[in-house]
Amino acid sequence: MKKSTLYAGFVFLLMLAMVVTGCSQTTETSTTKPEENTATDPKKEEAKKEPVTIIITNGKGEISKQWEQAAKDFSAANPEVTIEAYSNVVGDSLSAYEKLSTSGKVVTLAMFEPGSLLSKNNGVGIDLSGEKWAGETADIAKDATGTAVGFPFAIEGYGIVYNKAVVEKAVGGAFDPYSINTRDKLIELFDKVKASGVEFPVAYQTEPWSVGNHYGSLFLNQGGDPGATLASLNNGELKLKDNATWNGLLDTMDVLASEKYNKFGKRPLGKLYDEAHRLVGSGESAFLFNGNWAYDSLKALPESDFGFIPVPVDNDASNVMNTKLSAGPAQVLVVNKAATPAQQDAAKRFLNWIVYEAAGQDFLVTKSQVVPAFKNIALSVTNPLGKAVGAAVKEGKTMPFSTNYINAGDYMEKIGPEVQKYIDKKVTRDQLAKTYEDYHATLKK
Amino acid sequence: MKTESLVKKLGLQLFFTGPTLVAFGVTILLPFLYGLYLTFLKMENVTSVGEFAWFNNYVLAFQDDKFWTSLWLTIQYVVYTVIFVNLLGFGMAFLVTAGTRGQNFFRAALFMPNMIGGIVLGYIWQFIFVKLLPNIGEALDVEYLKYSFLGDETQAFFTMVIVTVWQSAGYMMIIFIAGLLAVPRDLIEASMIDGANAWQRLKAIILPLMVPAFLVTIFLTLRNSFLVFDLNYSLTGGEPYNSTELISMLLVNKAFGESSNYGVAQSEAIILFVVVAAIAWIQFHFGKRREVEA
Repeated sequence: MKKSTLYAGFVFLLMLAMVVTGCSQTTETSTTKPEENTATDPKKEEAKKEPVTIIITNGKGEISKQWEQAAKDFSAANPEVTIEAYSNVVGDSLSAYEKLSTSGKVVTLAMFEPGSLLSKNNGVGIDLSGEKWAGETADIAKDATGTAVGFPFAIEGYGIVYNKAVVEKAVGGAFDPYSINTRDKLIELFDKVKASGVEFPVAYQTEPWSVGNHYGSLFLNQGGDPGATLASLNNGELKLKDNATWNGLLDTMDVLASEKYNKFGKRPLGKLYDEAHRLVGSGESAFLFNGNWAYDSLKALPESDFGFIPVPVDNDASNVMNTKLSAGPAQVLVVNKAATPAQQDAAKRFLNWIVYEAAGQDFLVTKSQVVPAFKNIALSVTNPLGKAVGAAVKEGKTMPFSTNYINAGDYMEKIGPEVQKYIDKKVTRDQLAKTYEDYHATLKK
Repeated sequence: MKTESLVKKLGLQLFFTGPTLVAFGVTILLPFLYGLYLTFLKMENVTSVGEFAWFNNYVLAFQDDKFWTSLWLTIQYVVYTVIFVNLLGFGMAFLVTAGTRGQNFFRAALFMPNMIGGIVLGYIWQFIFVKLLPNIGEALDVEYLKYSFLGDETQAFFTMVIVTVWQSAGYMMIIFIAGLLAVPRDLIEASMIDGANAWQRLKAIILPLMVPAFLVTIFLTLRNSFLVFDLNYSLTGGEPYNSTELISMLLVNKAFGESSNYGVAQSEAIILFVVVAAIAWIQFHFGKRREVEA
């Protein structure tokens, strides 16, 4: 009788313990260890038909539904492949890949920002340069060792977004964004828009990722390879204070943020993203700096249409920097080294499915509104900013996507806020140059 | 005989506290100990394999100016919120127990802000500070209201204090109401017969008897304010230029955002734990001495 209470207590604990260990056991079984499968490697051909489960993670939280549907559609066509699809949560600082990896699972196919291949995700992926689709794209991303690991999932670009209706009304007819190839022409355009009755032509949104990671990295394009600019900045050769492009971009930023043109000129900071997009979307203002993803926030009116103007760096119309959009693969898919050969094979087939199958292309372009990086894909997005980026890619009016060369997390925390201080006139341009140089000096190899 | 009763006691103990102990151990104690272990590793980010690095992370943490600036900012925030949440909470509790008409309605209404989660609250108030108040400022031509509150360091800091007070005061009010209702009526009546006025009654009878309630509310506000993350994240996001980045947000950004700082952020979190635990202990220890029995 007395003992039974003791037993009851222990049985209870035992049950709990079983629940806990039970959980961890299922985790282990679902994570097949790579070594076990290398043993079955010789029978790889047979293994192809064997059922295989892969985990795929998506870094673009906004297309999580489409991502899951793509996994289902692929599995329906390839019944032996079971896909567990995960997506990042918008705004979450920890990615789905990181969460799953730290809990001991092997993510077979992961979506990363290309910049992270040079730092924290270096060495994760296998070489994909031999894949068939590699011949259809120029944007395969390399990691720090130079291995071509990144399947370019989405092309994105940024520049000065303009509201077509407002600008066309101001210039009195059709408007070619590439005709704005000097800073003075941009100022002239602002003045025309102002004269047409728009009090503040620019609604400049100044979140740290925008002024730091995007605008603040544009200077890496100096006409040549941004990687080379980065290297000379890291080893202290490049002095920003004397650099024409870096200074030119800040001169243009001064115009964008000025009290004369900017709706928020008197206080240019303060979580203005939504308000800036509402103003430009509705036509109360006409310009802001952002990328093609901004369309979701801009489409205030059903008939609204938008385009991109490249950010001018000087008044030399022959400078290529003034006529090209910074665009490139903003997200890449990487096949994990740690996955089994069978899993890697399934992931590669999924990539082929995206590029070559009608259903895959439909998922990528039509459903997810992603600008494709592959020549063979004829579909195009309906989103006007995406269309503008796609057209620029086709016409060769792009230069590398500068954000892919920096460490996004560091820029967000260390550079973005300093550029904000510059905009708010809390630091001088020389001090900002020093902040950049000091930070980049810590990356010296 | 003796051992059997011991065994029985242990069994009973396990039966009733076992599940809680397991839950506490698995969700709090083990992660904490694991977190402590991580502070001794040199880890670049959450997925990297750590190398043992002794106390190097702690050395880096103590040298990190950003950490101490943010901790100091958090202490200022804690001071403002603890004072105003408790003053307002007590004031509201006093008013809604005074016997006015419709006091139950007011109790419910004042408690309502607490039912809204921090993230949602942050976005709602962001709209107020970025859009609504500037529009009012524009219409009335009040210079101070005209621009986004989140674009100025001082204003942005006080938006967080305002929203926290607005959110928490109602919750603390409920605790104060319980404390006020527990003050024996006979003491109040006796004091009235003795000719004490309202102020004397408050000072000499009600407040001393309310010390236990204050202990709880001050502890709760201290803890909540020190560890606030959701509101900070959704309302200011650290803007402008990370000047309103409170300590929890700084640590999250450091651990998961920046490169090569996971271990340092982890050890800073442990330092934060020690600081908060010490302050809570001091508050409780000194508060306990002021408690009186009715």
